[in-house]
Amino acid sequence: MTQLLLFNVTNGLIIGAFYVLMALGLSLILNLSNVINFAHGGFLVIGGYIAYTITPYIGFWGALLLAPPLTAIIGLIVERVLIRPLYGRDPLYSLLLTFGLAFMIEDGTRFIWGPQGKPVTIPPFLAQPLSNDLFFITGYRLFMVAVVMIAVALLFVLLRYTRLGVRIRAGTLDLETVAALGINVQMLRSLNFAVGIFLAGLSGVLAAGQLGLEPTMGTGLLMPSFIAIIVGGIGSLPGTLAGGLLIGVASGLTAVFLPAASEAVIYVLMAVVLLLRPRGLFGEEGMMT
Amino acid sequence: MSSSIFNRHLDRRTLIKGAAALGTFQATSPFIIQARGETPIRMGMVDPLTGVYAAPAGNEVMGAKLAVEQMNAKGGILGRQVELLVEDSANDVGTGVQKARKLIERDQVNFMIGDVNSGIAAAIAQVTAEKKILHIVSGGHTDSITGKDCKWNVFRVCNTTRMEANSVSNVLFTKYGKKWHFITPDYAFGHTLYEACTDDLKKLGGTVTGNELTPLGTTDFSAYLIKARAANPDVLILLVQGSDMINCLKQVVQFGLNKQIHVAGTQQELESLAGLPPEARVGIWMFEWYWKQPGVAGVEKFVADIRKVNNGKVPTARHWFGYTSAMSFALIANAQKTTEAVKLAAALENFELPDDVKLQPNKVYYRKGDHQLMTSAFVGEAQSKGKDDPEDLFQVDEVVAGDKTAPPVSETGCTVRWPS
Repeated sequence: MTQLLLFNVTNGLIIGAFYVLMALGLSLILNLSNVINFAHGGFLVIGGYIAYTITPYIGFWGALLLAPPLTAIIGLIVERVLIRPLYGRDPLYSLLLTFGLAFMIEDGTRFIWGPQGKPVTIPPFLAQPLSNDLFFITGYRLFMVAVVMIAVALLFVLLRYTRLGVRIRAGTLDLETVAALGINVQMLRSLNFAVGIFLAGLSGVLAAGQLGLEPTMGTGLLMPSFIAIIVGGIGSLPGTLAGGLLIGVASGLTAVFLPAASEAVIYVLMAVVLLLRPRGLFGEEGMMT
Repeated sequence: MSSSIFNRHLDRRTLIKGAAALGTFQATSPFIIQARGETPIRMGMVDPLTGVYAAPAGNEVMGAKLAVEQMNAKGGILGRQVELLVEDSANDVGTGVQKARKLIERDQVNFMIGDVNSGIAAAIAQVTAEKKILHIVSGGHTDSITGKDCKWNVFRVCNTTRMEANSVSNVLFTKYGKKWHFITPDYAFGHTLYEACTDDLKKLGGTVTGNELTPLGTTDFSAYLIKARAANPDVLILLVQGSDMINCLKQVVQFGLNKQIHVAGTQQELESLAGLPPEARVGIWMFEWYWKQPGVAGVEKFVADIRKVNNGKVPTARHWFGYTSAMSFALIANAQKTTEAVKLAAALENFELPDDVKLQPNKVYYRKGDHQLMTSAFVGEAQSKGKDDPEDLFQVDEVVAGDKTAPPVSETGCTVRWPS
């Protein structure tokens, strides 16, 4: 039993790491632009399909490098054309827009690539488990965790030490003052959106290697990512990181005792956190109210 | 400077409300396939064109469309052209029922086909029975539809879960072993399929080491697989379908579990095998229809016809379900020279499908008593790569006739009550 628990905690951390990658992108966009991006799962799917399409020409590693920036470019266009006109309005406008956009992306991918799932093969040396006992730790899953760690580290370096990062953080706290200091806020939002969508694209490439690549793939992954943000605390990137890992572990542990509740438990966790600490685990009081 | 370009007030409640909306909102996208004719006969079709079953549902619709085209070319039904009206159930019971009511009340359809999802199919059957519309369930497998909840107006083309289990249990037991562990989708289809498999297993003298009930649309199966592996079974039986099957089987193979335990199941579909990388196409399964049947009348023509409308790809069992459902209406209505539902339902009892519709070797008929089509099970093994054709992903070892896999009517729990 102890072994089973230990296995599931480790497994939960691996799954949580993936949620973190999704949730960080969502969180970036939400924090600076107040856009609840329901189309984030759609961008994940776009990333996956772009990788699937270019893999025959440039291989898995080439696709891993190229698909996320291509997805980010699509994100930039969407931001410029659809989302920017809504910045001054109530957040519900952009929420509804991205909600509709999510369906359009799902049907669009179905139209272009067909409703049937696409087979994605990963390099054979990654598709092996470490050992017979620790079968759930495959090379690919470790690789995923490594990519997430690198992405998170780079993101923190970007936000802490670069001019763009400092401006994004400053804008999150007080966008009006940032604009008054002569910084191009529109450009800042665009770049920030692109970074968020880049992370969605990267999640898409990674997910396609492990899950079936099909147009609805993003839907099931989006909800846990939202919950990770709410549990971790809106406005706090370390909170998002903790939230993602926490719901991964909670979901894994519940699967041992009460499998039927393994999906519901993340909602219960969210409810409990909201009741006891409405700002989320790491959220600052008054951050988003 | 105006403050309007800056962020408006966003509170946590808005975010949570939005998140709740994502979980509950259902998209719907109806469309109609028109055919010519002054007073056309209308067939309604409700299938989950969006969601996890989008691929099989789309193929059922394609099969039904082909049938309608072919019947219209031969003069339609009773000399009238046929129109197929397709609605998306979005894999949601409420939406499916609403769409079925719309088709019957507003569009005045004469016949109804659907749904891939067992729960929706059963719910639509309530509506069609109430409205006295002849209804063929194309692809929902749960037993009760032609079992304890059977209805005078409802017939079914695809197998029951009991038939699926009976076709393959013996082979799995003999070849793979007697301790079985299940990964089961947590809704009507999964529950009855699990019951059928465990009944067979008990009769054969085997044991169940556990059952992991997984929600429809599960993406990560690792926690369930860790539990299953810990129970140390001989066979891991996957009862999940659609994208769940793809996700689960892909993870099973990446974890190397197929090298430690046998991995198999009952129902497998070409849509799922095609969506898997070659190394994950493993195990013994049953197909409900297969496109490669050398020497069987009509199959080659059907494959060629579907290829023309399916980007050159071969038909799957789902194409055949849709095709056979629509064709059954035309055959029986033209034979009886009426569209009156009660008369047609009575005539469909023990009605045998002709060669160019049944497209398989054994006798195929709608059984009197429970209205279940006695259709064959194609038992065999998944192939990582096709030999002559890249889509030949299944090696059929045996084609078992439907009346050998179906339990007798007396055991189905069905008593058909005709309207007075």
